[in-house]
Amino acid sequence: MLGLKCIVGDLCVGGRLPRSLLHVQKTSVSSKSQHVRLYERPPHLPWQTRVCFLSYGQNSPASGAKLKLRTRVLVTLLFGGGLLAMWWFVDLEKQQRLRQQHMEQLQKVALGQGNFSLLDHRGQRRTKQDFLGSWLLLYFGFTHCPDICPDELDRLSAVVSTLDQDTSLPPIQPLFITVDPERDDASALARYVQDFHPRLIGLTGALDEVKEVERDYRVYASPGPKDEDGDYIVDHTILIYLISPDGLFLDYYNRMNNQEQITQSIRNHIKAYVRL
Amino acid sequence: MTAPNSSQRKACWDARDQLWKCLNDNDDKAASCQNFQSEFEAKCPSQWVKYFIKRRNYLKYKEKMQTEGFTSTEGPQQPS
Repeated sequence: MLGLKCIVGDLCVGGRLPRSLLHVQKTSVSSKSQHVRLYERPPHLPWQTRVCFLSYGQNSPASGAKLKLRTRVLVTLLFGGGLLAMWWFVDLEKQQRLRQQHMEQLQKVALGQGNFSLLDHRGQRRTKQDFLGSWLLLYFGFTHCPDICPDELDRLSAVVSTLDQDTSLPPIQPLFITVDPERDDASALARYVQDFHPRLIGLTGALDEVKEVERDYRVYASPGPKDEDGDYIVDHTILIYLISPDGLFLDYYNRMNNQEQITQSIRNHIKAYVRL
Repeated sequence: MTAPNSSQRKACWDARDQLWKCLNDNDDKAASCQNFQSEFEAKCPSQWVKYFIKRRNYLKYKEKMQTEGFTSTEGPQQPS
């Protein structure tokens, strides 16, 4: 039975039939002890382990055994390598398909269709039109935020700084829109944004203007109860939005995406982008 | 009241971290960490104090769920 496996294995290698037949003849003629050892082995041997047999084949010349060993190892590696390459290619296709599905879903949702009109932290009126032509990275928060907003803005700033270093990419415009216009006026925002990326623009406005942009981007924001100081915390969605130069919402990033993932994702979007 | 600036935020977070470290080391016994507690309340706005207390409770609860597991409550009887 082992002899049969020898032949099959050799056929796989491709045309070493005469030599293997010779080998089979020799093993069948071999001593009784060797014969017994053959049958002690477990019945279903993968053909690679035959390498062991061949290497201590008493009857075949040493150089012949070595050559066969090397060939078999090489073939095994090539075969394994081929399998890995196939798996990698299929996985790549799957990733591509998932990305495609993700994009289609986001396009259906179609956030940010409207035109916002807000005041920046220098007191100048800015509308959505003013930002067309630039890639935008948008974050909604408020200046009295205990930990999450500074954290997210640090992340956002780091991403923009990393992308700034790549001169083949256009500069990204980071935006911070307040969900607390009651307290966050232009001067409050000016104080706040200076701690982050130098290009970060803070945006505020009248309550209805801010509510309109919140609705546009489906941002949940809910001010909590005021305490004796009049202080309160605004509960809100924690997302970073990527907007294309055409003003279209392309992607979003939450707390589970780390900095490298966000940077890479933005890079991919910019490279894949075709102007309308 | 104006929002805390960057250094004030950092001072508050450091005080909070020290308090939490003390509580972790002392098995959540608040009595052992009184000085850290008062420092924390001094350095952080009262809203943030409340927020961080809730946050710690949430993190402890989450840890408990992850390590000790939970028994689900009996929901409405499903028709078999």
